[in-house]
Amino acid sequence: MPKYIYKKKTKNWLFFQNKQEDLIPQSHIAHYDLNTLHSTEDAALNKEQVLILTPMQTFHIEYWNNLLQLSYPRELIEIGFIIPRNKNGDETLKNLEREIKKIQTDKKESRFKKITILRQEQESDSFNALGEKDRHSLEVQKERRSKMALSRNQLLFSTIGPYTSWVLWMDADIVETPTSLIQDMTFHNKPVVSANVFQRYFNEDEKKDAIRPYDFNNWAESSLGLQLASKMGEDEIIVEGYAELATYRLLMAHSYKATDSPSETMELDGVGGGCTLVKAEVHRDGAMFPTFPFYHLIETEGFAKMAKRLGYAVYGLPNYLVYHIEE
Amino acid sequence: MFFSTLATLIIYGDLLSVFTENTYYTPDFSRIPQVEYYDLNDSKGDKEGWRTGDRVVFCVPLRDAAQHLPRFFNLLSKMTYPHNQIDLTFLVSDSKDDTLGCLKDELNKLQQNKDKTKRFGNIEIYEKDFGQVIGQSFSDRHGFAAQGPRRKLMARARNWLGSVALKPYHSWVYWRDVDVEILPDTILEDLIHHDKDVIVPNVWRPLPDWLGNIQPYDLNSWKESEGGMQLADSLDEDAVIVEGYPEYATWRPHLAYMRDPSGDPEIEMELDGIGGVSIMAKAKVFRAGSHYPAFSFKKHAETEAFGKLSRTMGFSVVGLPNYVVWHIYEPSTDDLKYMEWMAEEEERINEENKIKEFYQKIWEIGFEDMRSSWEKDFHNILKNVDHTKLQNSNKLKFAVDWEDTADDYDHVLVENEITVGNDGSFDKSKSGEQLVEEQENTKKAQILAAQQNEE
Repeated sequence: MPKYIYKKKTKNWLFFQNKQEDLIPQSHIAHYDLNTLHSTEDAALNKEQVLILTPMQTFHIEYWNNLLQLSYPRELIEIGFIIPRNKNGDETLKNLEREIKKIQTDKKESRFKKITILRQEQESDSFNALGEKDRHSLEVQKERRSKMALSRNQLLFSTIGPYTSWVLWMDADIVETPTSLIQDMTFHNKPVVSANVFQRYFNEDEKKDAIRPYDFNNWAESSLGLQLASKMGEDEIIVEGYAELATYRLLMAHSYKATDSPSETMELDGVGGGCTLVKAEVHRDGAMFPTFPFYHLIETEGFAKMAKRLGYAVYGLPNYLVYHIEE
Repeated sequence: MFFSTLATLIIYGDLLSVFTENTYYTPDFSRIPQVEYYDLNDSKGDKEGWRTGDRVVFCVPLRDAAQHLPRFFNLLSKMTYPHNQIDLTFLVSDSKDDTLGCLKDELNKLQQNKDKTKRFGNIEIYEKDFGQVIGQSFSDRHGFAAQGPRRKLMARARNWLGSVALKPYHSWVYWRDVDVEILPDTILEDLIHHDKDVIVPNVWRPLPDWLGNIQPYDLNSWKESEGGMQLADSLDEDAVIVEGYPEYATWRPHLAYMRDPSGDPEIEMELDGIGGVSIMAKAKVFRAGSHYPAFSFKKHAETEAFGKLSRTMGFSVVGLPNYVVWHIYEPSTDDLKYMEWMAEEEERINEENKIKEFYQKIWEIGFEDMRSSWEKDFHNILKNVDHTKLQNSNKLKFAVDWEDTADDYDHVLVENEITVGNDGSFDKSKSGEQLVEEQENTKKAQILAAQQNEE
């Protein structure tokens, strides 16, 4: 075996200690009983902690304001952000820092239990959310969603704690939800449940405000989709929105009925990450966001498949709308 | 001159790294309550992590492990990696013994070390019961049918521990089974300095003499083979291939069998599946989402599937064939049966010896030893025997010549024919068998006659 040198070295000696100070208490033995952890339909009443996770490429103040208007008790909310390692991320971080400082130095009741911000390890990990207008070739889409999946995993596995009962995935461009979002979604008491993501816009033809479906990653599998998958190479993925990949899957985005109850549920096979609530145990069991084609699915859709492989059911709320920012 | 140039180069190099590495904005939350900021670039894992302050999180799943803890903590306390850079995390599940109590005692002892540099960093104990699908004896756990469900359950346990144990400031994750007998004190450095994403040592176990001394223990570390791929294709979606069982012949090269006891311990071997006795991984592997699949992933589960998954995600997975850690010897049910038999046998022999001894005494008391006088008598008894005749016939067969006495006895023979043979006058024209037959026939005739008389 080689002999080792134990003399400390620093990555650069101009900044003697480059690393964050240790936050670790000396000789501390913590004991957690995860058997007492629950996620129930009475989440707020049972004081169940919710971890809101947002990969953030761009800071939208509307997102932040929407977050602040949620009525779930803040002492039960932890938030995690992950920010790409690029110049764009610097801007985002500065904005986020400003807003976080405002809220966390405010009176105690208005503070969130904990906020964790992560900066990605490498420039090449940088993700950017897919805008509806910039759907590129399948290959590009695969790569971008792979990076998005990576950032979600990095965020999830750095922040999920011993008291986390629920994980709420909320994209940085979700700008409008009901104030009772967390209570409403936990009430369904499902392992995975996804809200329907729509977008407000101005209908030029009718000269009035209107809404349109936005997220097409919430779907129920079709036999054609499965047939398509069975003929594909191992490394290929199926994504919605390509004419050459017509799957005829039942899309939740198209299942919205304004007249029906918002608490209606439908079973899904693929989910998007716009606004999706997950019982922490699903993630703890190992359900993550595949960065590679998993049953020809990737990222959030691959996650739904993995959750199902672990024996969990996946649901959607077709009539429960949340809104994506207008671009 | 040369040295000053070198120094300038080093300074320049360092400045350059300052400019390239620290060009990104760092927020300051030091005075903001309940807010933490982490740059994941600070915990990407250095191959000399012990020098750069890399924190290692030590993950240990425990179940009915009280008896193994003293040995485990003894090994732990001797580790050379800076202890304050090691965080210890344990998952105690489904234990019937006092694993938790023993664990706490050991930890308290560990952290009360007078030498503060020998104390460890953050310590977390988690409890979570998963329910057991099968028993915990060696054969329950290692029997073929139990493998699939058992692996999936253990995978869940590992994931529950891993996901809460991993913090953004960890650079390395070290998974260790509690029942390791011997390993080098430099185990962490030995694995880290290879600078691989996932790395495992070879795992052997010492055996009792009657089982042949040593044996490869961990057959879960292997490289994929053509046979393995074919087998995987033939199985249904939820099947779990487990190595080391004749039911699943994969013909995969195993790390365990690649060992050359005198070979270079630094040699690496690329792997697809790995075992869980001692896994060192960069924290980024788990952060990226790799984990221990609790479902059948490419027809594998748990640690073997962790290897496959990590490979699929583009990470390096490597084993060290000549660098060995020693698992404790834990007998299988067959071994136990054999050992029981050996114990019984030993007792039986002891018992037998006691009886022998007893008889020996009795004989000594009850019988006079005549052997020495027999030596003398022997010669007297046989002194009239013609030894040459004895030797010629080579057996103790005596022939007596009754020729000259024939006249004295002939009339008796005629008078009383039933007495044939009683006087030793066997009819030489008949063979022994014939004689016996004749005798029996006569006896039968007599018995028959007697019966008829009674009637």
